[in-house]
Amino acid sequence: MAFDDPLDRPRAAGGRAPDVFRRGGWVPMREYRDSEPVDFVIVGTGAGAGTLACRLAEQGFSVVALDAGAYFRPLEDFASDESEQTKLYWTDDRIVDGDNPLQMGSNNSGKAVGGSTVHFAMVSLRFRPEWFKSRTLLGYGADWPIDWREMWHYYAEVEDALKISGPVTYPWGTKRPRYPYRAHPLNAAARVLAKGCEAMGISWTETPLATLSAPRGLAHPCVYRGFCVTGCSTNAKQSVLVTWLPRALASGAEVRDLAMVGRIDTGSDGLATGVHYHRAGQWRFQRARNVVVAGYAIETPRLLLNSANDQFPDGIANSSGLVGKNLMVQSNQAVWGTMEDEVRSYKGPPSLAITEHWNYDDDKDFFGGYAYMSQGPLPQLWANTQLGAHGLWGEQLMTAMKDYNHVAGLKIVGETMPQERNCVTLADEVDQYGLRIPRITFSLCDNDKKLIDHSLSFMGQALSAAGARNIWAQEDDTCHLNGTARMGDDPRRSVVDADCRSWDIPNLWICDGSVFPTVGGVNPSLTIQAIACRTADRIHQMARRGELERLPAARPRRVLTPSA
Amino acid sequence: MKRQSLFLLCAGIGAGAVTLALSRRQPAPPANRIPARRDLSNTPQHSSGTVRAARRLNRAAGLLATSVLADSGVEHYRGSFKNRAMFTPLIVSGATLAISAHGTADMRPAAHRVRDVTYALAAVTGLVGTGFHFYNVGRKLGGFSWQNLFYGAPLGAPMAILLSGLIGFSSERLRESQPDEQQGPEIFDLPAGRMLAAVISVGLLGTTAEAALLHFRGAYHNPAMYLPVTLPPIGALLMAQVCVGTRTRHVAARNWMWLLVAMGFAGSGFHAYGISRNMGGFANWSQNILAGPPLPAPPSFSGLALAGLACIDLVREHPDA
Ligand SMILES: Cc1cc2nc3c(=O)[nH]c(=O)nc-3n(C[C@H](O)[C@H](O)[C@H](O)COP(=O)(O)OP(=O)(O)OC[C@H]3O[C@@H](n4cnc5c(N)ncnc54)[C@H](O)[C@@H]3O)c2cc1C
Ligand code: SF4
Repeated sequence: MAFDDPLDRPRAAGGRAPDVFRRGGWVPMREYRDSEPVDFVIVGTGAGAGTLACRLAEQGFSVVALDAGAYFRPLEDFASDESEQTKLYWTDDRIVDGDNPLQMGSNNSGKAVGGSTVHFAMVSLRFRPEWFKSRTLLGYGADWPIDWREMWHYYAEVEDALKISGPVTYPWGTKRPRYPYRAHPLNAAARVLAKGCEAMGISWTETPLATLSAPRGLAHPCVYRGFCVTGCSTNAKQSVLVTWLPRALASGAEVRDLAMVGRIDTGSDGLATGVHYHRAGQWRFQRARNVVVAGYAIETPRLLLNSANDQFPDGIANSSGLVGKNLMVQSNQAVWGTMEDEVRSYKGPPSLAITEHWNYDDDKDFFGGYAYMSQGPLPQLWANTQLGAHGLWGEQLMTAMKDYNHVAGLKIVGETMPQERNCVTLADEVDQYGLRIPRITFSLCDNDKKLIDHSLSFMGQALSAAGARNIWAQEDDTCHLNGTARMGDDPRRSVVDADCRSWDIPNLWICDGSVFPTVGGVNPSLTIQAIACRTADRIHQMARRGELERLPAARPRRVLTPSA
Repeated sequence: MKRQSLFLLCAGIGAGAVTLALSRRQPAPPANRIPARRDLSNTPQHSSGTVRAARRLNRAAGLLATSVLADSGVEHYRGSFKNRAMFTPLIVSGATLAISAHGTADMRPAAHRVRDVTYALAAVTGLVGTGFHFYNVGRKLGGFSWQNLFYGAPLGAPMAILLSGLIGFSSERLRESQPDEQQGPEIFDLPAGRMLAAVISVGLLGTTAEAALLHFRGAYHNPAMYLPVTLPPIGALLMAQVCVGTRTRHVAARNWMWLLVAMGFAGSGFHAYGISRNMGGFANWSQNILAGPPLPAPPSFSGLALAGLACIDLVREHPDA
């Protein structure tokens, strides 16, 4: 038998898809013909796409989700090896520029069925309620067209779907329901954060994480080996791959792996008709009544721009001119130090303790907020950090690495401001599929820099108060990508409405990190999934009322008919 | 080597539990049986029913000690025996198990010096251990926070060896008490049966609290996890009734204690299933026994319930006890 390489040949085919919970197992998968217009074709299978695919399939829609990445079997395909696991990252060619060119790859984009959540760090936080109206209430950025109370409902749904392990009570903000699973034990790195916070007189807590602190179905509880950001081989991590997608398949959705979408077609009526995708060596066209784009904040605008045609010469869904604009990362600066005692920070999930103090305290001289968390860099990453920050190499690097077990660090997830100059455009170069590659332009603004300075100074004090020595700041890191197809109330100033529906093309939807008008100071995946759940419910309602193009209300549906 | 010793420990524990379970089935020698309600010539004024109750209490104390031996063995091994004191519960519970076996086999209606001292030591160990565990949790960052209650030294665990000691000690007092016509056996001038009933009732509640805390940590992810937090409190109530109630046969309490005996052993089965759900399942037992739910913990309910049964018998035979 030929070696089964998930990167070489599609696995989801022949009426079955990999069973992620059983070695060598399969689950049945419904398949659709390219010529058969499905209700929804979805580009991507990540936080936004996978969640939406599941919810739509469960409502009875026919769904096909396409992902450029491979369909991995975590129990078999994931090695405890940083180099091997680079197979999870989106490392296709991209051009970066601006004052602060972004480093693309491991820390911000995934290419796999399940999207970036396959190697994300599992931190699962809610927005601060005021952030949904940050322009009106806090004086910066843009308002979301969604009310926080509605989001609170969907956050709870996602937290339950992922069995988030979190503290018994959360110290900040509006009351939230108890997390479904209890918090994990703190490692020594987390206790350093806690000690620092206590010394500085601010609150801290156990980080709400999408990894199991007790068994769940066939998924094992976390074993605290700390390889989370290179892919979890126990299925403790509640990634989209092991949560929403098995549900989606069970409800009749089809997932196509190693399927790169290159272009969305529109018809003479200005509506989307389907997508061109490359799979198993050839270009194909999947017809669809609705197209959803959820390729994350670089690939989503790239696809929309690459789909320009005579009718939409500036790219589709782009009458506002905002496709690709307002790219927001999150600042990801850190302070590091060495502790007298061994820390072994890499034991367990990397961010077991958190403080959101500066997200909820408005006594600052800058807009926005940040959270900071304990850290647990794996050895290669740590060596790279040393190399990048201090230029260490050879003997010096070896000496520095001897302190690895004593290192403790604090790292922020900081809000950056939406700026139109930060954007994704198309370069002239093409990739392996012949598609124009994205050019990613990013510069920090003064407010962003002030926030970073504040955080570095505060964390430095906290780390020192916790007893660390040789403290130094890592000033250049970023994480997460958002905002390049923002949602809003006004078609002239946003790309999609509150339902993630394009203003220009009513059967085109964008449902991923791109739709964020602001990013807040928390990791985005919980919010992306909550929005996807909301979008699914809105589609359900609109379909019932016959408000969806090409989806007549009278069409019989599994779930919709009883109530329709 | 480490794995081997762990295996030996487990094997020893298994053997101890089996011995105890079998001894339950052993009929008492006829000499003791026939004159059950009459005075034996050389043991004036002493009912053999009292000795029987005492032996049953020894057995119950033994089962509790077994649970402690295994549980503290595994948990303190997990804690790498960082502190020498962490060997104490192993030694003490091992000794308690041995003398309980001795007591279970011993028909003589008199207290035994070594047993007495050992049981007293066990009780003191339980108290000191509780103190240690409180100290350990309290000094951690965050003090008595959920995090430390879940993952620090379990506050309630040393209580099991305290209960074992108390029950065993009571057993000895029972043997040496000289009930006359008016009075049943006494422990420290209190009616033995009723006092024991109170101890068992409180013990059941304490053990429930421990299970409730740790099952809350497990988010009650399996509905069966509600059993040890709902059934034992009812048992505690029934034992409280035995303590203060009027003279009846206590049928409900008896049946309930049997239910708890079964629940305790079934609990180990459930915990074994819980262990198998960790990465690697049983094949990876040497890690998963440490990572999963504690295999030997649930039978402490069985131990208490067995003591409850002995106590009910005692009260039944000596209504004033
Ligand atoms: C190392 C790392 C750690 C992170 N840690 C956290 C964390 O702790 N907490 C948190 O909330 N967030 C975290 N994130 C961010 C989080 O993973 C992302 O914000 C989230 O997954 C984005 O969701 P999405 O649906 O927008 O895109 P993704 O989840 O990235 O999914 C996009 C998918 O679309 C596919 N795709 C893109 N373009 C095409 C195309 N043209 N054709 C076919 N398929 C395509 C990609 O292959 C990918 O699988 C982390 C991210 C990384 C990289
Ligand atoms: S530490 Fe837990 S979540 Fe992270 S990779 Fe290991 S088992 Fe998975």
